[in-house]
Formats: sequence, C-alpha cells, structure tokens
Amino acid sequence: MGASASFEPLLWMLLFGVVASVPALIVAKMIAPRRRFFNPVKFMPMECGQVPSGEGRTRFMMQYYSYVLMFVVFDVMTIFLYAWGASLFGLPRFVTLPIIVFLAILGAALGYAMYLSSRRDIW
Amino acid sequence: MATVSEFTFSNFIKSVLWLLFWVLMIVSLIALPILFIVLFYVPPPVINGVEINPYLLLTMLTNPQVGAPLIRPTLDSLFFRIAVFPGFTFAALFATVLIFAERKFLAKMQLRVGPYHAGREAFWWANSLGGFLQLIADLLKLLGKEIIVPSGADKPIFWAAPVVLVIAAAGLIALIPVAPGWVIADIDVSLLAVFALLGFFPLTVLLASYASNSKYPFIGGLRALYQLISYEIPLILAVLPIVILASTLSLTGIVEAQYAYWFILLVPIGAFVFFITALAELERIPFDLPEAESEIVAGWLTEYSGMTYGLIQLANYIKMYALSALFTTLFLGGWMGPEFLPGVEVFGVEVLSSSETSGIFWFTIKTFGVALFMILVRGTNPRVKIDVLLRAGWSKLIALSFINVFIAVALLYLGVVGVGP
Repeated sequence: MGASASFEPLLWMLLFGVVASVPALIVAKMIAPRRRFFNPVKFMPMECGQVPSGEGRTRFMMQYYSYVLMFVVFDVMTIFLYAWGASLFGLPRFVTLPIIVFLAILGAALGYAMYLSSRRDIW
Repeated sequence: MATVSEFTFSNFIKSVLWLLFWVLMIVSLIALPILFIVLFYVPPPVINGVEINPYLLLTMLTNPQVGAPLIRPTLDSLFFRIAVFPGFTFAALFATVLIFAERKFLAKMQLRVGPYHAGREAFWWANSLGGFLQLIADLLKLLGKEIIVPSGADKPIFWAAPVVLVIAAAGLIALIPVAPGWVIADIDVSLLAVFALLGFFPLTVLLASYASNSKYPFIGGLRALYQLISYEIPLILAVLPIVILASTLSLTGIVEAQYAYWFILLVPIGAFVFFITALAELERIPFDLPEAESEIVAGWLTEYSGMTYGLIQLANYIKMYALSALFTTLFLGGWMGPEFLPGVEVFGVEVLSSSETSGIFWFTIKTFGVALFMILVRGTNPRVKIDVLLRAGWSKLIALSFINVFIAVALLYLGVVGVGP
C-alpha cells in the first residue's frame, strides 16, 4: 500500500470537516436576524464601549525576540531527533554517540542563549 | 416595516394555506426531482456483494434478519467511520458531553449549581442529570444570533477561520485509534501528522485575530504565537521517548507496544510534560493567555459572534477530546484493558467482537478521565503570566523532556525494555 492510499481517508476526513461546518454557518445566516438599516456603531471594532481610536491592527513591541530566534533553531532539531528515535532499535550502539555530541552542542547553545536572554540590552 | 395583520380566523386559514402552498411547491420542484435523480442515476451501494436497493430496504423494515449480515460491512465502510463512529459524530458527542461535564464539575468546585433547570422535568430519568438540555438551548441560541463582521475586517479569512479550525480538529480525530482496527487513517507516520495538524491551530488563531481588525483580538493572536513558541518544543520532545520505546511513529503501533505495561510507568516525566503542554495547546486555564477574559475581553475570540463562535468552541472541545485521546494513546495504553465485555451479536451474526467492545469501553473511560483531570486543573489554578510561561517552557519543560529522553535511552540500553543489539 502506497503512502497516498493510506493518507486518503485523512483527506476525506478533512473534507468532511468542511461538510460538517459550512452548513451550520449557512443555516445561521438564514435564520439569524438581519440588519434592517445600517448602524455603523454596531460594526465598530470592540473597544469596551468606547469609540475605537486608531487602527485595529496596531503596532506592537516585538517582545521576547530571543525566544523566537531560539524557536527557529530548536524546532528543527526536534524533528531530527524523531528520525533518530524511530530507528534506534535497529541501529548499533555506537551510532548514539554522534547524537549525544549533537545534543551536547545544542544543549550548550541553548544554555548560553537562556543565560543571555535575561540581559535585555543584548537582544 | 412588517405589518402585523389582525388575528382573525380567515387570516389564520389563509396563512395555513399559504404555508401548505410553499411546502407543496418545495416538495414538487426541489425534493421530488432530487429523489428521482438519485433513484434513476445514482447506482445503489453494494455492501458485501449485496445491492442495497429500495426493495431490500423495505424488506428490512418487516424482516430485520435480512439486514443482519450487512451491519458489519457497513460499520467497516469509510463513510461510516468518517461520519459516525471513530469520526465526527462520536467526537462531537464526546465534546458535547465534555462541555456539560465541565460546566457541572466547575460549578461543583466553585460551590455553584451549574446548569439546573433546562430538561430537568422532561424525562423521569433526567432528574439526576440536571439541566442537560441547556446545551441544546445554547446551540439554538448560537444558531439564532446575528453574525456581526466588524467593519474593516478581512472577510474571507474571518469567515474561513472557524471552518479551518473544525477541519484541523477533524484531521486530529482521524488519526487516533479507538479500538483494534478502529482508526480512520492508519498512517505509519501518524504521530508526525498529529504534530503537523496541531501546528495549524495557532496559525489560524493568528490569521483570525489579524483579520478581525480590532485591538484585543490582535493582542490575543500575538499571545497565541508566543504561547506556541513556549510549548511546541517540549510537546514534541515529551513524545520522543515513546517513539524510542515503541520504535514506531504509528499511533496504532504505539498502543500495541503497550500490551504489557503502560508507558506512563516508564516515562512519567514525559507524561507530566505532555499534559502541561497539552493544556497550553488547548489554551485552557493555567495557559489561557490568548483568550484571557479578565485582561483582553475574550482575546482573539472578541469579534466572533453567533455560529462562528459556536464552531470555534466546537473545534476547541473536539481538540480537547483529541488531545485527551492522544494522552491515552501515548501514555495510558489506548484501548488496552481487561476484555470483560461481551461482543455484540444481531440475529446470530457477530457485529462487534469482545475485544472491540472492551477496547472502545476502556478507551472512552481513560479519555474521559484525562479530560476530567484537565477540567480539575482549570478549576483550581490561576492564569500564569506570558513571561513566566516562556521562561518555564524554555528552561524547565525542555530540560525535563531532555532528561526524559535520556531515561528512555538508558532503559533501552540497560536492557529493561526491548532487545538492544
């Protein structure tokens, strides 16, 4: 059995998600009350009853940037580890050594980055 | 403006006739043509070599024994699996039960009563359940509410986000084995597929919040992104020992590897980290920063109303079922348990074997237990701050999951589990 054949039920399930959710929206559109006249206040962005000021998509401070940078590196690492972990039974023992060196390098880098992340002025 | 006509008997008769006219029109112009097209042009389904035609269906009404050999092939068909049992209807029902259990259980923890009146006196057996029809009332309320799209919103993304969330949740439940042989998509890398589908949720949240063109949803979406950064790596690393011990990426294979002992006994740290990160993934209370209702109105859900909100909640609770089921599958042995339930037989034909009924029973019980534990955590904990979550995720949870990986490798190489070369 090829990979596409085993993934086919998953794709049908995703399609069934559309079939199950879109009619709910259509029925809600049909039976829900509609606006008789246009009231601009009703369609304002929610700001706790105040008249909204400025744009909705505001500028924001890019906080915790160090974590974002670390995430880009270490998220890829985890998937590399899966390739190793799934085949660990069939591998000879000395193959684990390079992985441990790899983990040590990344762990040291992670520790250093965590140590630096407490210093705001560096990031 | 609609004019309200006077209520007289002739007006009443007129309105009834008018209704009858429309029903007849719809039946004759839409329903009957569809029926004829289906009967004439759609080939009848063939199950187990028997063609299911209308005559056979009518025969089954008077003589159900005819249909008994066809039940099991129907249960095995892909449509039944997707639509009903391990698929969508089962998950949605489980989600509904979870919503009700959560409301009652949380109310008990907070010394309240919870939903009480709706449906209490509808049935004689409903008296002890107390208010279980509240869910139907809520559903009707959500269906009947106007969907307001804020001005300046990105309309296609705004409408698509709830549907995408439901699709991703449906994809999750397609991958989880419920009983031996009862899984919709038995993929050999289903664990990686689960992680891929879990990645859809925060991205959709970010898109929905950006499409809302409002400040609170935008803040909530950014918080969802930071939350993703803090929990994703511990979540993936916490499952790595399971892959090492079971030596497979298939969820069915992982359950079958636990026939003797559950993996929670071997790697309890992994179960702890996975549970915490699952709470963060679900945006439940210690980590419900993206929808913190006391800080940023409702977070990224602020602008959603009516059925769009309902679909998002449905997707959330299906996701809660899926992650509880994933915890059960990975750490609590999935469907494994004593086979004590008898199989189901209809007119002497076996429909479900004993191992299947017991498997479904044990899986459901374990999953519900895990979900109740999540509700317990929700009822007893305050919300954490975002920097606390980030620091805890990066320094504590990742360290714990690395320790966990080393424990698994040590178990393997010391000969405790498996046959090391």
